[in-house]
Amino acid sequence: MIKIRNVRKSFEEMEAVENVSIEVNNGSIYGLLGSNGAGKTTLLKLLAGIYVEDEGYVAIDGQPVFENPVIKERIFFIQDHPYFLPQYTVKQMAQFYQNIYSRWDDGRFEELAAIFEMDIHKKIHRFSKGIQRQAAFILALSARPEVLILDEPMDGLDPVMRKKVKSLLIDEVAEREMTILISSHNLREVEDLCDFIGIMHKGRMILEKDLDDLKTDTHKIQVAFKVSVPAIFDPLKILHKEKRGSIMICIVKGDAKEISSYVEQFKPVIFDMLPLTLEEIFIYEMGDIGYAVQNILG
Amino acid sequence: MFELDVRSRKPIYEQLVERLKELIITEVLTADEQLPSVRTLAHQLTINPNTIQKAYRELESQGYIYSIKGKGSFVSPATPNLNREKIEKVKSELSKLLSEAIYLGITKDELFNMIQELEAAIGGGIEDDQNP
Repeated sequence: MIKIRNVRKSFEEMEAVENVSIEVNNGSIYGLLGSNGAGKTTLLKLLAGIYVEDEGYVAIDGQPVFENPVIKERIFFIQDHPYFLPQYTVKQMAQFYQNIYSRWDDGRFEELAAIFEMDIHKKIHRFSKGIQRQAAFILALSARPEVLILDEPMDGLDPVMRKKVKSLLIDEVAEREMTILISSHNLREVEDLCDFIGIMHKGRMILEKDLDDLKTDTHKIQVAFKVSVPAIFDPLKILHKEKRGSIMICIVKGDAKEISSYVEQFKPVIFDMLPLTLEEIFIYEMGDIGYAVQNILG
Repeated sequence: MFELDVRSRKPIYEQLVERLKELIITEVLTADEQLPSVRTLAHQLTINPNTIQKAYRELESQGYIYSIKGKGSFVSPATPNLNREKIEKVKSELSKLLSEAIYLGITKDELFNMIQELEAAIGGGIEDDQNP
């Protein structure tokens, strides 16, 4: 269980993370989303024990992470630019990690190298970006971590590799309850992987929720009426409303059945109700706090 | 066993519940048949095992499946509200199509003839459906 409580971290004048608290259960896949510069990477680095928090605490199973080798041995962090020791081959990196991670599994390493068709005797820095990322995954999964922290993990991977990596991650979660924290801008990607998401903006956590709950209680509705639109929307909890010709498009919060039975009593000519995609949720939630997508044509 | 549409707007967990219900209603999955384990299904569909767990819990609370500790999940033999739910769904789809048909100018008689023809072709009787 990961617990981050009231954590604050600033760099000189800049406050990168302000008063953030999150909890992640074992075996969960947590998606950390946010605008650029929201503090996602800082938060991940705090969790990985790379940074020390200014205030609050970061703990895994009740123990602080920073400079705690016992806990850190159970974590693996793949940064947005994976780091390898200069001039090392994949095999040499594996030997390096073997000395650090007591649960390192050599059999698993061989197996993963075969799955990815990786030449483990080649120097990593000569690989392309995508292959380097694959090497990082092979090393990470061979270390058998309990917590895997991924910063923009799919960057540079082709669709086939993405699928392969995803299914490997899911297997680890299903088989031994590995916990994953994943930060990404690619919302489509996290949408089918994560069960819980947190959205950050300017160092703060603005929304944290079970993904399915989030999707089942926010809806996009399109309605049109024969006569002019009655003022029926007042009792509904509307996040966003726009008019395109005679069709109204609204983002509404609440129970799907209640909303549709409410709207239908006004006999709309067109009435469609769609669940939101994660991308839409992200955009509307961000718009709500003033981080709107500016209309360029305005 | 089946595929999910990851591009669909519907939450994956809802899709899963619906798909499994469908398989149970159509008796592709028969009574007391074991469902694939969470792990297997997660691997096959490449989706989060927690989502599958949740879908199974939902199906269990709705009475479609039951689980035995340490053994897995199984299809419930008695699912009384199966038909009712399906009927509701068909009715709502029908009313959508019918209103479109009326709007396009198909007459009541034409629709009625269609129904009669279909009924003759399928040859089903009301009594049979109620006492399967």
